[in-house]
Amino acid sequence: MGSGLLSMPFFIKSKPQSSSPKSILLTTPSLQIINAQCQRSGESLFTPTSLQLNAGELAVIAGPNGSGKTTLMEAVAGLGLFTQGEFLFNNRQSHEEWLEHSHYLGHKLGNKGNLSCEENLRFICHINQVQVSTDEIESVLEQAGLGGYDYHFASDLSAGQKKRLALGRLLLLKKTYWLLDEPFVNLDQAGCDWLYQIIKNHVKQGGAVIITAHDQKKIHELAQHYITLQPFVEGVE
Amino acid sequence: MQFWALFKRDVLVAWRRKANVYQPLVFQLLVVTMFPLGLGAGAQTLSKIAPAVVWILALLSTLITLENIFKDDFEDGSLGVYVLSGMSLPLAILSKTTAHWCTTGIPVILFAPVIAMLLHLPEHAYGILMLSLAIATPIFSLLGTVGSALIMNIKNGGMLLSVLIMPLLAPVLIFGAGAVLETALSNSASTHLLLLSGSLVLSLTLAPLAAAAAIRINLE
Repeated sequence: MGSGLLSMPFFIKSKPQSSSPKSILLTTPSLQIINAQCQRSGESLFTPTSLQLNAGELAVIAGPNGSGKTTLMEAVAGLGLFTQGEFLFNNRQSHEEWLEHSHYLGHKLGNKGNLSCEENLRFICHINQVQVSTDEIESVLEQAGLGGYDYHFASDLSAGQKKRLALGRLLLLKKTYWLLDEPFVNLDQAGCDWLYQIIKNHVKQGGAVIITAHDQKKIHELAQHYITLQPFVEGVE
Repeated sequence: MQFWALFKRDVLVAWRRKANVYQPLVFQLLVVTMFPLGLGAGAQTLSKIAPAVVWILALLSTLITLENIFKDDFEDGSLGVYVLSGMSLPLAILSKTTAHWCTTGIPVILFAPVIAMLLHLPEHAYGILMLSLAIATPIFSLLGTVGSALIMNIKNGGMLLSVLIMPLLAPVLIFGAGAVLETALSNSASTHLLLLSGSLVLSLTLAPLAAAAAIRINLE
């Protein structure tokens, strides 16, 4: 791993980048991933991949099963690591700043089964230092199609409802960057339409979204960036 | 605020899964009733082994609760929620440790006199027994988080956890049981208690950092 360890966001506190000129002032936050690669069980998953994403843009990450979409998303979120490449947020390797502006929603939704919907959302807000009122939570649950489910345990919900509950966080936390790993899975048609609408609104209002999604033509049409992960073959560059 | 949010959540989750709280106590009660039956001995023999037995039971009953400290969070994804919240990871771990201690450590301390009574521990040793457990149960929870963080992505890692943690807890057992034994023999237990307190300070400063490193390794 060696030098690879240095480039991953996890262990980077806030290392000043000597190479980036201080004169560049960005008005909008931007995320840069340069020639990044990830490994699973010691094997590189995809060829070096780059992405620049500014606020107000949508990026779709595609690729066949096992091509490393989730691994890449986790690395971008800060849960995993890049074995190679560079990760810059606002031209700095500042992990704290990135965490402050991003929210990751993966396959494991992070709902606690024996907490109610309302308690789940309240915890998520408090742990992210966002003040929230009961009315706000109720209105988000209403929007997510979970009106009246405030006091139901998350474990009693269906798979689609659990997904809706997790997606409700995005509306409460109001982060700029959303990282969504297969968010349409388990959602019914109405749920897909709702999610499409909130993603569209978010991007329109200056947010940015990285998404992995199969068969979502509408989302693909909305995207400014479309990245297909190419499986990495040993010895072929 | 983040500290209390996580603490409150963990206590609530443990409280709703009441078996978590009862399990150590029921385990202790079941094992302790076997001793007189197995030994076939009277009050005198029992009171001699009482300090060691009460302490070993407290240790083992805590051990069975350690595995899930991080495993549940890892499996349902809520680990990612607080790792990515921007909260300092050692602080998050300290918060979880406090919650674990409140839901397993405190019941064990309060239950100890009952176990001691069943083993005919001299009554004047009850105070020191509870005091020594009050110092030691936070150590169990602290070292437990390190072990739990190491095995969180391993299926059936309970055995491995015990193997990892037991050697570290052996000194705690020696000082703790020693303190109760000395008191039962009407000697001063202060040396043992001081060493125990030293272990608490040591684990309080190092365990959250070690557990944070273990979580980062496991998240890779």
